[in-house]
Amino acid sequence: MASVRVTLGISSADVLSTALGLNVATTLVADSGTMIRAKVAATSGAGSGITVYKADDKDTSAYVYVNNLATEHEDYIYVYNDTDSDASVAKIAGGQFAFIPIAVDKTFKAFGTKVNQIIEYGVFGQDNPANTLG
Amino acid sequence: MATTTASITISSGDLTGDALSLSSTATLTKADKSTGLDQTTGVARKFFASITSAETLVSASEYTADRAHKVYIKNTSTSNSEYINVELGASNITIGRLYGGDWMFIPYNGDQDIDIDTSAVNMTVEYLVIYEA
Repeated sequence: MASVRVTLGISSADVLSTALGLNVATTLVADSGTMIRAKVAATSGAGSGITVYKADDKDTSAYVYVNNLATEHEDYIYVYNDTDSDASVAKIAGGQFAFIPIAVDKTFKAFGTKVNQIIEYGVFGQDNPANTLG
Repeated sequence: MATTTASITISSGDLTGDALSLSSTATLTKADKSTGLDQTTGVARKFFASITSAETLVSASEYTADRAHKVYIKNTSTSNSEYINVELGASNITIGRLYGGDWMFIPYNGDQDIDIDTSAVNMTVEYLVIYEA
C-alpha cells in the first residue's frame, strides 16, 4: 500500500496581534491517484461541469485537491456536488486551492467563471475496482 | 493590511513510478483581490462529549455572504474509526468525511452554515476561519 503525505501551512505575521503559524500534515493511505491539468469548458453547473471525482471511484475515503491556475482572482472555479442537486461545495478564486476529503459516494464536478479556465486537480484514495472512470 | 499565506505540499515516494511532489502557495486576499484577509477566529478547538448530528461549527450568520473567507477543519482524533462528517447548509449536504488526523482547507462563501456530525464520544475538532467583513 502506498502513502501520500499532505501538509498545509497557514501563516501570518499580522492578522493577529501575535504571529499565526499553523502547520498540519497527514499521511493518506492510498493505492491509486491522479494528478491532472485540464481546461474547464463549462461556465455553469447542471451536470455540464468537468468531473473532478466520480462517485464510488474510491473505497472508504477519497481526497481531492483543486488548484485554480487562473491569474485573475475573479476567475473562479466552482466545485459542486453533482449527486446532491448541484450543491455548492467551494468557490476557488484564481491562484487559490482547496484540499477536501470528499464523500466517496458522491460525484463532484467543477465549472468556471470563463470558458476554458485551467485547473490542476488530484484525487487520492483506495481504489474501488468495481467502478471505472469510463 | 494583513498578509496571510497558505501552502500545501502533496508528495509520495511510492504511489507512482516516479516520486510525486507538488507544492502550491496562495496569498489569501479579500474578494476585491487587492487586500489581504484581515480577520480571523484564531485557531480554535471544540470538544464534543457526546455523538452529535448537524452541529453548527461555522455559522453563516457571523460572516458576510459572497466573500473570500477560508476555513480549515481538523479531526484531532488519532483513531481512524472516529470520524466527522462535514456538511453544508440547511439540507446538510455532505462534503466529506474527516477520519482521525484528517483535515480540510476550503474557500468559504459565507452563505451557508458548516455543520458536522461526530461519530464517537469525546471528540475534538480544531478549526480556523480567516475572513473579511
